[in-house]
Formats: sequence, structure tokens, C-alpha cells
Amino acid sequence: MDPTEAVRIALRSIRGHKLRSALTVVGLVIGIASVIVFATFGASVKAEVVNDIEGSSANNVYVFATPEDDEGFDQVIQPVFTERDVSELESTRGVTNAIPRGTVNANSLTHGNDTIARQRVTATTPETFDRGSVVDGRGFRSGADEVVLNEQAARSFDENVSVGDRLTLSLAENRTAELTVVGIVNGTEGQLPVSGFAEQSRVYVPIDPFYRTVVESPTVGVRQRAYPQVTVVTDPTTTEAARTAVESYLRADSDARELIPGGTTLTARTSGDFVAQVASVIERITRFVTGVAVIGLVVGAIGIANIMLVSVTERTREIGVMKAVGARNRDVLALFLVEAGLLGTIGAILALPVGLVVGYAATRYAEVTFALAPTWMVTAVAVGVAVGVVAGLYPAWRAARVDPIDALRYE
Amino acid sequence: MSSADAATDDATTVVDLTDVTKAYELGGVVEALAGVSLTLLEGSYTAVMGPSGSGKSTLLNLIGALDTPTEGRVVVAGQDVGTATEAERARLRGTEVGFVFQTFNLLPRLTAVDNVALPLVFDGVPRDERTARARELLADVGLDDRTDHLPTELSGGQRQRVAIARALAADPALVLADEPTGNVDTDTGGRVLDIFDDLHARGNTLLLVTHERHVAERAERIVHVKDGELVRVEELPEVDA
Repeated sequence: MDPTEAVRIALRSIRGHKLRSALTVVGLVIGIASVIVFATFGASVKAEVVNDIEGSSANNVYVFATPEDDEGFDQVIQPVFTERDVSELESTRGVTNAIPRGTVNANSLTHGNDTIARQRVTATTPETFDRGSVVDGRGFRSGADEVVLNEQAARSFDENVSVGDRLTLSLAENRTAELTVVGIVNGTEGQLPVSGFAEQSRVYVPIDPFYRTVVESPTVGVRQRAYPQVTVVTDPTTTEAARTAVESYLRADSDARELIPGGTTLTARTSGDFVAQVASVIERITRFVTGVAVIGLVVGAIGIANIMLVSVTERTREIGVMKAVGARNRDVLALFLVEAGLLGTIGAILALPVGLVVGYAATRYAEVTFALAPTWMVTAVAVGVAVGVVAGLYPAWRAARVDPIDALRYE
Repeated sequence: MSSADAATDDATTVVDLTDVTKAYELGGVVEALAGVSLTLLEGSYTAVMGPSGSGKSTLLNLIGALDTPTEGRVVVAGQDVGTATEAERARLRGTEVGFVFQTFNLLPRLTAVDNVALPLVFDGVPRDERTARARELLADVGLDDRTDHLPTELSGGQRQRVAIARALAADPALVLADEPTGNVDTDTGGRVLDIFDDLHARGNTLLLVTHERHVAERAERIVHVKDGELVRVEELPEVDA
């Protein structure tokens, strides 16, 4: 039988039961659309997050210690990178800067009459402010009683802090420091890219004179400052090579190699590594949620199978007539398969815009930029059609096996 | 059994049944047909009469290639129904046999013209061609003004005429009619039988199953079936049309 004729006959049958066909299709639309919604939303979140991370720091290599056998970002807060390590890293080929970063324990921070509790402040070098991240003022100078706040920290006092204000920092061991606010920043070079999503309030002071964590360098044999993290800024064209060089230095003759506690390992990560890790986590979540949506598709498939079985029973006599006028078993099989496949196709075609619109709405609600998930879209539509055909297999087989003699007697 | 026929002796054999037995398993073997032999020549008009349960429907199903014999040979248009595959029997039903049913059996969602063209769909005839052929056939049975009506918009007699047109669509070697006047009133039934007379006059081979004597008498001969056996073949005198 001519395939176009099979489609015509199937369409006529679908039109013959408008409400029933519509309800069947709705079931499938919900299934396919949910898959598209979740896939689209996942892709959008991923694109947004990846974009955030990649934004400013693609050429940075972050050096820190992590627990062994750990895939995550767990940073071991142990001061293992000595001054010697920092200067060695800085003189590594392809490296423009090595920015050490540590924390100084504190009690509180006072602005005028307003005192807020503050457990620690970040100690780092002026290079951390190199990028266009300074919103107002400038970065601090090394050795000066100066402080830089990020926007969140500047807003955390009753009265917003601005450049030129004085702050009193109360440190551990009853030390206090009178500091001048010289800059307000939004993000810094040295911070790990993953901390950018929920920017916390941060207070930056120069390492000199505030950072006092010292260890004895195993290689040089003198006590010097040591830091838990170093950010190596590289020439963007040679980031990978620089990372390799950094890693080999860390493994071969760094102080950190000797200083790390057992069960931890030294890690040099680029932004790309973070992006890949975050992306893979989001990808996994998306896949899981989309997988849940596939349940909807299965329900849709059952709907089609059910309606096709009803259709076969209802049209037994019709099948008998068709066989009496020359339809072969496979013609009947084809007719019912085409009908089920058409229901699947109609569902898939309708589900595509529905899924995209709802997915778009979800991204607006979550305030992420809308991104398409083309692979999932194609898959969802293909699966919709396939679901129709598969769901129609058994009913169609039943139809093909109808005995025309019985069918013609059937009332 | 008898192969006597009103047609000429050198006419082609359209249907040939030799010692045909059809048995069903119904809590014990029931023989619906037992050793029936029958020949239908081209252009002949035969009526099959018998009470219900006599086996006349079984006979019709076998000749119509809807069923296969348990024993014996059923040859329709040169094809052995017993050994034919399902697809071959479907082709036989589609192109060599035209069915006319008591309850018309038109497809409710198809217009008259599409119903008539249906056998040609499964025979792979292009759409334009089969529509033209269907319109022609509907005109022949006097329904040229009802071609695009659905069966529900037609009277019983009109539906049966659509069914007859459908039976002729593939220009079959044989038209099988099962109580074609059973569901229409006497006047309408008379007109349906007039159409069969026309078909006969034009050289079609007809086999008509009925339990009504006056219907059977329109044929050239009556085959009487009882308890699965062919009990008597009655030759009818030629009536002037």
C-alpha cells in the first residue's frame, strides 16, 4: 500500500475521534515538553555558570592543597606555600604574577560607631587588584595601613563605607589596626572562581604587615611566611604550559611538597578545570531531572498504546472489511503503526514550542540567560515519534491478526 | 458433482471446488462442509440456498479466500486457496473476488467514492485513477449524485448499491453476495437484484447466497446445501429479461 494513503487513512481516523486523539496527544505533549523544559533549563544554568567562571580569570592557575582521592573543591586550609615557593612560582616560565593569599584571624571591624563581628580578613598582595575589578579608589599598597573592601562588605555597615573612611580592625591577640579604606572592589584576581556565585563579604588587607603565619622552609631552613593558596597569573597564550611547569615545580622541589599533611595532595587548577567540574555536576543534575521527566513520556506512551488497543477493538469490523477487499496483514499493521506514529509525531511537534516556552519562563524566573539544548530537543522529538510507534506495535499486531470472518460477523 | 451449466461448454472455470471439507473444533469436530464439489464457469449466475447452519456461509468464505479448506481443493481464478499464503489470499480477495454483504459493511468515515475505491488502494492503483473508476461505477449503479456522501447519509438501498460498486472496483473474476437483500425492503431488494441481473447480462460471474426462494430464482441455477452437503443442483429455465 502507498504510504501517503496510509497516512491519509490514519489522519482520517485520528480526526474521527478528535477528543480522544487530543487527550492522548496531551499526555504525550506533557511528557516530551517536560523533558525539553528540564533539559533547556539545565543547559541555561550551565551556560550561565560557566560564563560566570570563565568571565575574568581564564589565564589563572590556582594552587592549593586538597584531600587525596577527592574530586571536589575542598581546600585544605594549611599554610604550605612559603615565600620561597611564591617567588619560585613567580619566576616560572610563562607566569606573570604569583599572588599568595591567606587569612588573618580577627574579632571585629568598626566603622564610626558601628562595630560588626568579623572572624577573619583576607591577606594578599596588591597584584590581586590588577584587573578591572576596582569599583572605586585603588588597591592597597604593601606595608601600608590600608584596607580594601568588596561591595558586599562595604554595604554590611549601617552606613555604607566609602573610599577615604577609617576602619578599626580588631585582630586576635588584642592587636588593633587603624586602617584607611582605599578601594572598593567587585571580585579579585586571587579568589577561586567557584566562590563567585554567592559573593560573600570580603575584607582585604596587605600581607605586610598583617599576615604573620610563618613556617620554617624545609629547603632554605629559615622561618618565613606561608600561605594556604597561591594564584598564579599566566600569559593567556601559555596557560597550559605554565600549569605544567607549576605542577612539576610543586612535585619536584617546593616547600609545600614537604609541608602538606598526610592524605593531602597539591593541586594546580585552571579556570577551565573548574568550569569542567562545575559543568559536569550541573550536567549530572540535569540528566537526573530530565530522566525523571522521561517518566512522563512513558505515561504518554501507555496512553497511546491504550487508545490504539481501544481503536483496534472498536474497528474490528472495519479491519474485517479492509481484509475482505484485499488488505494484507501487513497493510493493516502499517495502518495502525502509522496512526500511532502520527499521534507521537503530533505530540512531539506540539511539545517542542510548549517545552521551549515553559523552559524560557523557568530561566526568566531563575534569572539565568536562556540557552537552547538542541541535542535534547532533537532527542525528545525523535523519542516522541518512536514512543508512538513502539506503543502502537502491540495494538497494530493485534489488528493485523484479526480474523476477517470473525470480524465481519462482529457487531 | 454436477458441472452442468447454462453457459457454453468451453467457458473458463472461475471457481473449482473438489471434495471440499471444512471442519471446526467446537468441543468436538464439527464439519461445516463435507465433501462438496462445485464448479462456477465464467459468466454464470448461481444461487446457494439452504437453512441457517447448512454451511452456505462457510462455502462463501472458502470461495472468497477468507478461509482455507480442511480437506479438498478450492481453486479461485487459477489460485489454490488452500496452499496460498496470507498475502496471496489477500490479493485474491482484492482483485479476483468482489464481496457484497448483507449489512453492506461500508467504512463509516469514508465517502461513497472512497469506499468504492478502497479495494484499489490495497491494489496500489494511483489515487486519480481509482477515484475516476469509483465515480464511473457509482454512476453505473445510479448514484452519480451521491458520490461524496458518507454511508450514514445514504439509504439502505443506496448503501447496498455503493457496496456493489465496491465489489466491482477491481473488475473481479467473481462477485460473491451474501444475502444482499436481507437488510433492505422488498422494493429496494428488487432493484438490487435488477443490478445483479445487469451484471450477469454484462458477463460477470455471480454467486449469491440466500435463503429466500424468490431471490434465488433470479439465478440460472440453485445449489441446495444442507448439513454441509450439496444436496441438489436445480437448473432454472432461461427467463426473458
